[in-house]
Amino acid sequence: MVMRCLGALSRALLHMFPRKRPAGGEVEEGVPREAVVPKKLKVECSKSEVAADGNHRPPHGMACDSNGRNGADIDEDLHSRQLAVYGRETMRRLFASSVLISGLNGLGAEIAKNLALAGVKSITLHDEGIVGLWDLSSNFFFYEEDIGKNRAVACIKKLRELNNAVMISTLTGELTKEHLSDFQAVVFTDISLDKAMEFDDYCHSQHPPISFIKSEVRGLFGSVFCDFGPEFTVVDVDGEEPHTGIVASISNGNPALVFGVDDERLEFQDGDLVVFSEVQGMTELNDGKPRKIKNARAQSLILEEDTSHFGAYEKGGIVTQVKQPKVLQFKPLRDALSDPGEFLLSDFSKFDRPPLLHLAFQALDKFKHELGCFPVAGSEEDVQRLMAFAISINESLGAGKLEEINQKLLRHFANGSRAVLNPMAAIFGGIVGQEVVKACTGKFHPLFQFFYFDSVESLPVEPLEPDDVKPLNCRYDAQISVFGSKLQKKLEEAKVFLVGSGALGCEFLKNLALMGVSCSQKGKLTITDDDVIEKSNLSRQFLFHDWNIGQPKSTIAASVASSINPSLHIEALQNRACPETENIFDDALWESLNIVINALDNVTARLYIDGRCLYFQKPLLESGTLGAKCNTQMVIPHLTENYGASRDPPEKQAPMCTVHSFPHNIDHCLTWARSEFEGLLEKTPNEVNTFLSNPSEYTSALKNAGDAQARDLLERVLECLDKEWCENFKDCITWARLKFEDYFVNRVKQLTFTFPEDSATSTGAPFWSAPKRFPHPLQFSTSDPGHLNFVIGASVLRAQTFGISIPDWIRCPLELADAINKVSVPDFQSKKGVKIVTDEKATSLSAASIDDAVVISELITKLEGCARKLPAGFRMNPIQFEKDDDTNYHMDLITGLANMRARNYGIGEVDKLNAKIKAGRIIPAIATSTAMATGVVCLELYKVLDGGHKLEDYRNTFANLALPLLSMAEPVAPKLNKHQDMSWTIWDRWIIKGDLTLRELLQWLKNKGINAYSISYGSSLLYNSMLPRHRDRMDKKVVDVARDVARAEVPPYRRHLDIVAACENDEGADVDIPLISIYFR
Amino acid sequence: MSSPSKRREMDLMKLMMSDYRVEMVNDGMQEFYVYFHGPNESLYQGGVWRVRVELPDAYPYKSPSIGFVNKIYHPNVDEMSGSVCLDVINQTWSPMFDLVNVFEVFLPQLLLYPNPSDPLNGEAAALMMRDRPAYEQKVKEYCEKYAKPEDAGAPKEDISSDEELSEDEYDSSDEAVVGKPDP
Repeated sequence: MVMRCLGALSRALLHMFPRKRPAGGEVEEGVPREAVVPKKLKVECSKSEVAADGNHRPPHGMACDSNGRNGADIDEDLHSRQLAVYGRETMRRLFASSVLISGLNGLGAEIAKNLALAGVKSITLHDEGIVGLWDLSSNFFFYEEDIGKNRAVACIKKLRELNNAVMISTLTGELTKEHLSDFQAVVFTDISLDKAMEFDDYCHSQHPPISFIKSEVRGLFGSVFCDFGPEFTVVDVDGEEPHTGIVASISNGNPALVFGVDDERLEFQDGDLVVFSEVQGMTELNDGKPRKIKNARAQSLILEEDTSHFGAYEKGGIVTQVKQPKVLQFKPLRDALSDPGEFLLSDFSKFDRPPLLHLAFQALDKFKHELGCFPVAGSEEDVQRLMAFAISINESLGAGKLEEINQKLLRHFANGSRAVLNPMAAIFGGIVGQEVVKACTGKFHPLFQFFYFDSVESLPVEPLEPDDVKPLNCRYDAQISVFGSKLQKKLEEAKVFLVGSGALGCEFLKNLALMGVSCSQKGKLTITDDDVIEKSNLSRQFLFHDWNIGQPKSTIAASVASSINPSLHIEALQNRACPETENIFDDALWESLNIVINALDNVTARLYIDGRCLYFQKPLLESGTLGAKCNTQMVIPHLTENYGASRDPPEKQAPMCTVHSFPHNIDHCLTWARSEFEGLLEKTPNEVNTFLSNPSEYTSALKNAGDAQARDLLERVLECLDKEWCENFKDCITWARLKFEDYFVNRVKQLTFTFPEDSATSTGAPFWSAPKRFPHPLQFSTSDPGHLNFVIGASVLRAQTFGISIPDWIRCPLELADAINKVSVPDFQSKKGVKIVTDEKATSLSAASIDDAVVISELITKLEGCARKLPAGFRMNPIQFEKDDDTNYHMDLITGLANMRARNYGIGEVDKLNAKIKAGRIIPAIATSTAMATGVVCLELYKVLDGGHKLEDYRNTFANLALPLLSMAEPVAPKLNKHQDMSWTIWDRWIIKGDLTLRELLQWLKNKGINAYSISYGSSLLYNSMLPRHRDRMDKKVVDVARDVARAEVPPYRRHLDIVAACENDEGADVDIPLISIYFR
Repeated sequence: MSSPSKRREMDLMKLMMSDYRVEMVNDGMQEFYVYFHGPNESLYQGGVWRVRVELPDAYPYKSPSIGFVNKIYHPNVDEMSGSVCLDVINQTWSPMFDLVNVFEVFLPQLLLYPNPSDPLNGEAAALMMRDRPAYEQKVKEYCEKYAKPEDAGAPKEDISSDEELSEDEYDSSDEAVVGKPDP
């Protein structure tokens, strides 16, 4: 199966944003926050009280500590990306949770990191052991000087620095059951089976139960066991938004048949519960009672309700899914061990592996119990002992016994078992960290109950000899015990390009430093990122701290990574990798590389790097995350297809007419708000400045254009400098107040004047039928906080564009209201025959009938008059939307614009946080899935740097920790093209030596039986057989044509030019030939 | 389907092969103009529009952006910007579609069957719904005024009209040899 999920992630983006709960207590606009929080807390604390949506109760273990941070507000700047995944309620529960992590090996460290970043109330670290050389392979908290210290104690300082809001403490003595009672969740990474059963029995029997998690990583094998108690309630089983649909009709019947509107698909499933609202006619359905559906289709569903005696459906109606909580009955470890039930499968090619690993981990426990140590790597004797334990346990299983024990696999298991490898720790740290969050909050479906995973394909192709895996008394000994010292050397000497130093980048750097990649003078890690550190980064980008805010990401990340492993040979650059920086990321750099790792957050950059890797034939390890989801894709020259070979459709956008005049959900309102914000505060001021910096050039250009757009631009510029000129802050208030009138009163009146409520289309159907919603104008009032907020936001930002300072009195509500009330607002007069969408100019009287050119001339005359009166050197200050500054009023204005429009159309409003998530296109992100993605990628890194692995050894991954789901599959091979006796893939290139003319190039192709009809360089057309004027170019050198047409010189260090030729064979069928490189010098 | 990297070239070629007059801007393949004739049997018959076509980087995965340059009176075309509100071009675009589909099918259909229920030009939609004769009159007036074939450049013959542009274009590119590309 092809796992191509990155694009699918972006596709899912729009649907994943948390929407306002139907009846939930979100923070209301305009109400001071302090007044809201205690109210909300009360709802959460009283366990008997059913939450507003009627179906969830807080899970057990949730403590409401009114003295703790639960009472404090969530730091939205810090946690915005995580809030976009979890929502406020889950975050508050998390903030009230105390967690124990026992066993501070690499896995313990990863879990602790993920939970500190997530922001639990407290983390207690337990470990009785001391830091040894082997710990340096996977625990990034340990530096070489920590060797000999207690492991828990050695972690504490750096863990605290990740999030100083989390209380961190240590336990260094023997753990007893009594210790456990302080926690909502306890995690063990290094515990014997006996002890685990004892502790879990205790946790399971508590009231409320304590969630128990046991996880181990042993070489390339890992396991997790979860027991969240006999009756655990999952509040949200998948993290997806409840589906909604717009109703077109409902029948009177038993059951009732419901149809949705034509242009939107319904996405319900059979058995879903739904509620109705806004139904007209059959108003009985608006009672908020959840009803079950069946036969869910794209356009219809059947409602299990007898509606025959209900009122007849007239119009309207929104149907919304009610998400169901789920109760899970966990078995304690003691019972689950012999009756493990279904295992979560991660790789269909390894369907028989979980039961075997279930056995192997028990055998290893027995081995350690009997021999007091791990099997020694390369010791055949220890392998045989482990095997014997496995066989004897298997024999005791009776009916559940395995028919065959895969000896080869057990040998790998035994050999590597002492090592905690960093990539495995990163993967399991992500999984376990997420399970702890689930245990504490009830958000997302827990892992039920065992999970096993292995990555034996990561082992070197050549079998390892006992000598290869002998410890060298160095920090990589753990890794060497699994992969051998030959591969270790390859890792250290690798030349790696890490593109991006954000969330993925930080995790990768940590992994690479621990693995020893590029950790010798022969190796080199180049990292680049053009971004600086912001507060919102700190909840995942764990190499950064609050004192780094404003500093370049790559430099800081590189220096922290170097302190994790001082041998790391790293160069940090601050350039965006894009066509413009090819002088920095030049051919010499690219040619030197062994591997490229993408740590990017956008598809454009990914495609660019993909293209470069394709060109230079470099392996590319690609990954991405979205909330609890992540995916990875391996791009290996000649083995796999490239990243760009398959793509998902771009995000669906709402139709223009919907956004302009007929919004029917809050997203449409937010899209509109963003575009108005940009027009008012960025584009128009920019336009004004363009005019002012060179009036004559500007006006003559627009005169030449002479079209409606030119006219529109002139009108906007003139408005700013003339009628709507702002001299002082009061002018800005006037402007804002009149904007309110224009947007939310006059335009609505004009629209409903053009299309009255009863208007009908040509077919006689009502014009205002679903999904269109009939709007109503607002009545401005200074006592409405929404109205007031809009005017404040708009006037403050308007003042900024004019360089007017903001007076203190805007903070005084009375004075502000007074100023607003003084604004004289002309009455609305409908303009007959004026178009709706662009109806904002008083000047455009009967717009259509006057010639644009005439109007443009008039406008220019007026504008020139205005310009003369301006203060010398006057310029406006354009404002660029910045979502992450809570004090800049940007989000206030956008929220105000969107919500007032929503009120016009009777659409549910949005709070500022959700507005920010949607309008700011905040990508939901959490540390767990990020860490996991990089771990999975680093397992592939071993394969690439070892060399010689076949396609079937590689894995692409898609995971969703919310479900949980982990799905690994072999990458897809590149498409093979054939022509005559030739064959090639996208990885091939055709090379021509010599400074050819266009004619010679065409002939060269002709000789292969290929007719080129079009030749291009970049996005410039060099030759098209249909264009007569291109025939003049036939005897010019290709390189000269390219220079003339594309206006680009081939850089002096490059000897060739790459062109694309679109061709046909002699039969006229398209032949997709490779890129052609002409070596012209 | 052929490789996406060659789709621009193939699409352009197919347009030319279908006898559309295509006006290139400095031989760039990201933005060009296509001359579009109002379909027979429609109110727009006889009108010629210069239609701006922009192919985004992600073409054909992302839809082309289509805009009427000279004015057209149509419920689903923004009078000022010339943007078209058409689901096959915007929301339901598929990489299987190409520019010939746009000019042979989508745009003619749009001009033959306007959809006043989802208007972008509300006035046109309202007029169409309320006063059909006045609406038709206005459409024709606009055609007369803004979409005369002679204004749209030389009457449609073959693409040799492209030659006219070549002189300008060669002039500008000669200059460009000296200059550096924009950073």
